[in-house]
Amino acid sequence: MSGEKTPVPSGQTAFGDRYVLNAKAPLVEFNSHGGLAFEVQDKEKPNVPLYGFVHHPTVPIRNEFYKSLKSRPIANAVNPVDRGLMNVDVKGRKQRLVTIFKRPTGGALLSPDGTLHPELNPNKLRHNVVLSLLKALAELHKRGLVHRYIAPTNMYFAEPGSDEVVLGESYSFPAGYKLPTGLEPLELAFADQSCRGEGDVNADFYQLGASLLCLYFGQDLLKNRSRDSLMMARINQGSYWALAGGQEMPGALGSLTKGLMADALDERWNAEDILDWFEGVGKPKRTTMTTWTMNKPTTFMGVAYVERRLLADAFGRNPLDAAKFLKSIDFPAWTQISLRDEIMTERLEKVINVKPEEGYGGPRSDDHFMVSRVCSFLHPTGPVYYKGMALNISGFPGLIAEYFSRDDRETMTSASEIFDAKILNSLTEIVAERNPNFAVQSVSIKKALDHGPSKQLGRGMERVLYELNPIMPCVSSRFESVWIGSLTQLMRALDRLSSVGGGKNILLDRHVAAFCAAHGTDLEREFNNLAASQSNPAKFNTLTADFFGLLQKRLKLEALPHLCEKLVDGLAPSIRELKNKKRREQVQTAVEKLKKSGDIAKLISDIKLTQTQALDAREFSQATNLVRKLEREKNRLMRKVLPTDIMARKRGYQAARMIAFFGLVTISFFTFFGGR
Amino acid sequence: MAKKTSLPKNKKVAKGSEAAKKPIRRRRRRGNQEYSGVTPLLIMLITGLAFFKVELAMLVGAGMLPTFVMAFTVSGEHKSAKLQCVAFANLTGVLFKFNTVLSQPHLISDILFDPINILVMWGAAVLGHALIYLGPWVAAFFLQAVAQDKLKKLNAQKQGLVELWGHEVLGDKEEQQQQQQAPQSMR
Repeated sequence: MSGEKTPVPSGQTAFGDRYVLNAKAPLVEFNSHGGLAFEVQDKEKPNVPLYGFVHHPTVPIRNEFYKSLKSRPIANAVNPVDRGLMNVDVKGRKQRLVTIFKRPTGGALLSPDGTLHPELNPNKLRHNVVLSLLKALAELHKRGLVHRYIAPTNMYFAEPGSDEVVLGESYSFPAGYKLPTGLEPLELAFADQSCRGEGDVNADFYQLGASLLCLYFGQDLLKNRSRDSLMMARINQGSYWALAGGQEMPGALGSLTKGLMADALDERWNAEDILDWFEGVGKPKRTTMTTWTMNKPTTFMGVAYVERRLLADAFGRNPLDAAKFLKSIDFPAWTQISLRDEIMTERLEKVINVKPEEGYGGPRSDDHFMVSRVCSFLHPTGPVYYKGMALNISGFPGLIAEYFSRDDRETMTSASEIFDAKILNSLTEIVAERNPNFAVQSVSIKKALDHGPSKQLGRGMERVLYELNPIMPCVSSRFESVWIGSLTQLMRALDRLSSVGGGKNILLDRHVAAFCAAHGTDLEREFNNLAASQSNPAKFNTLTADFFGLLQKRLKLEALPHLCEKLVDGLAPSIRELKNKKRREQVQTAVEKLKKSGDIAKLISDIKLTQTQALDAREFSQATNLVRKLEREKNRLMRKVLPTDIMARKRGYQAARMIAFFGLVTISFFTFFGGR
Repeated sequence: MAKKTSLPKNKKVAKGSEAAKKPIRRRRRRGNQEYSGVTPLLIMLITGLAFFKVELAMLVGAGMLPTFVMAFTVSGEHKSAKLQCVAFANLTGVLFKFNTVLSQPHLISDILFDPINILVMWGAAVLGHALIYLGPWVAAFFLQAVAQDKLKKLNAQKQGLVELWGHEVLGDKEEQQQQQQAPQSMR
């Protein structure tokens, strides 16, 4: 099986010899869910402090973030310097994507172990930290980017003894990916931690407020909090009070934090409000929860709920009990009593479609969908609840990547069921009024998910993964030790894999096929042909060679001798199947000649195996017909010819007549002219 | 009204059924019937000779008697070729005394009543019949030789195809035969 793992290219690095990553010097404070950070030495500028971030292949990155910061660095943020593939010796030698960042050397404001920076005090927090972070956020928001990882552990003093604070990177993992529930604004916090969604600038301001709160109290208030109790507390008391644990943050900083952590979106402070606050004209804001409060509490699983969002969350987390509960009540009457402000039209009632219990009333197949619809009705701006999951549509790409990293196919299939046209349409209709973004976000994901149910090569959930996360490398187990981010890298890796005896039937690897299909253009026809010939290994190998020849030509790649040799080995059965001996020898000679050249494109164009096979089959059929004809003729000729045969008689009589005629002519000649 | 309308319908049905019962007329094929121009030619020849010299017409008429008999009695296939063969042979025999009658017409009665002359003329017709009898035998012999030659060529052609395409080109039946033969030869 060692032959099935692609070897790491020797001494290859995208940076030449410029950056040297010291794998023995980890920088834990710069680690994130997307990878690990290590010290890096720049040989050209040894005095510039840098760190290298080794990305994990199964976590998608936010590429637009990198591009923007690389081209125009932001003053109070950790900016990337460069990125590329590098061989890293972390738990074995592997080829990984490494991003080089400028390293703030002053230390994290709150270390990963929860220790506050000794130089940080409320005064510094108020005058320096807020301003520095505001500068960074304002620039990011101006560029249309949202940070989504503003955490006390992701803020650093630029230098030792400096008051300048820089905001850490947030490009190494999807927005909100696996962040603590307390760090997410209420509108996103209900979703599962792997699927929080992209969020907006309001989420950044909330995170800023939550970070300031932690830094003020000098401890990580976000850690070790039970999700359900925290959510209950946040809803009932407001996020600020829930996280602060009832402690008051006095003065101007307190009003800023409360403003930033306001749960109602229209009450939450933004950049303008912060600037007003700096000038001392900031108006205090208070959170209100009137919108989501129900007129009559509903008791579900022994708990009385007066808040729609909490009830929706409880329903969503316990779908089977919720279905039983919903079937036991008169839903329209319950809505009228509990949600008096809600205008329940006949159409909406029909869309939500809560059917009362009938007969024995066991669980029905569409119970989960019914609960999902009711949850969306109760909390239209919240996540989609389905089979115990809570998913924000925009976070779906990251979620799929996470399922693949866990190899959790079952949950992945369940999650993708919400994109069924019927359920998606009904959810869109239910939330349309209060969450118009839902329809927009779901369209692009739905398009990619159309590939999901297909078993065809180059499609399926693997294709969904690469369509939704175009920046993700190919995560086939064959490429465990290498980073395959493009088709060019894939081809080169396949060449290396072939050199160690692997890579047989490589296109049957669903990850490889899906990666090629997602990254290549106009390859649908090729994949359709490959899928159609899956049951015929010889034809499949021929088409595989055609496919890689096409890629090599399109990508204008150098010679790939090992891959070429491997593909030629795969062609052997097809060549053996050629019936015409002369043609077979010709093709074999051509193949042997081009085998070592590594030019797959030339090999394919020279031998034209598919066309040759077709020609051979056609000519073989003609030859078979000719042989049958010869056989019939032979049988006819082998029979003994008798004088009674029609032909013998005919020819015999004709010959007799001819002889008689010649006799007559001769005698006539001698009769009339012989005497003279 | 109902009766009036039903009558023509009934008639039509009756006509249709009668037409169905009638046998379909088929033209007799005349392809196998041969027409030989020998008899009219001989009659014209004799008539022409009679205008020229009656004795010559008498000689041909008497000498060609076997041909005339055959012309009216011959049947079966290739009767034209057979008749022509006998006619040509018979005429060769008649020509034997043609010059004598032409130069000495008064000897016609002697010639016609001489059994040797009659034997020669009618014997020539017998020779024609002999040719008819022997012709198919000789032809069969030659055709057999030609077939053997063709057979060799066909075998060579087949061998060429087998060499180019392998035994698969022989088809399932022969392939099976060869596969069966192979283990037998091993034994």
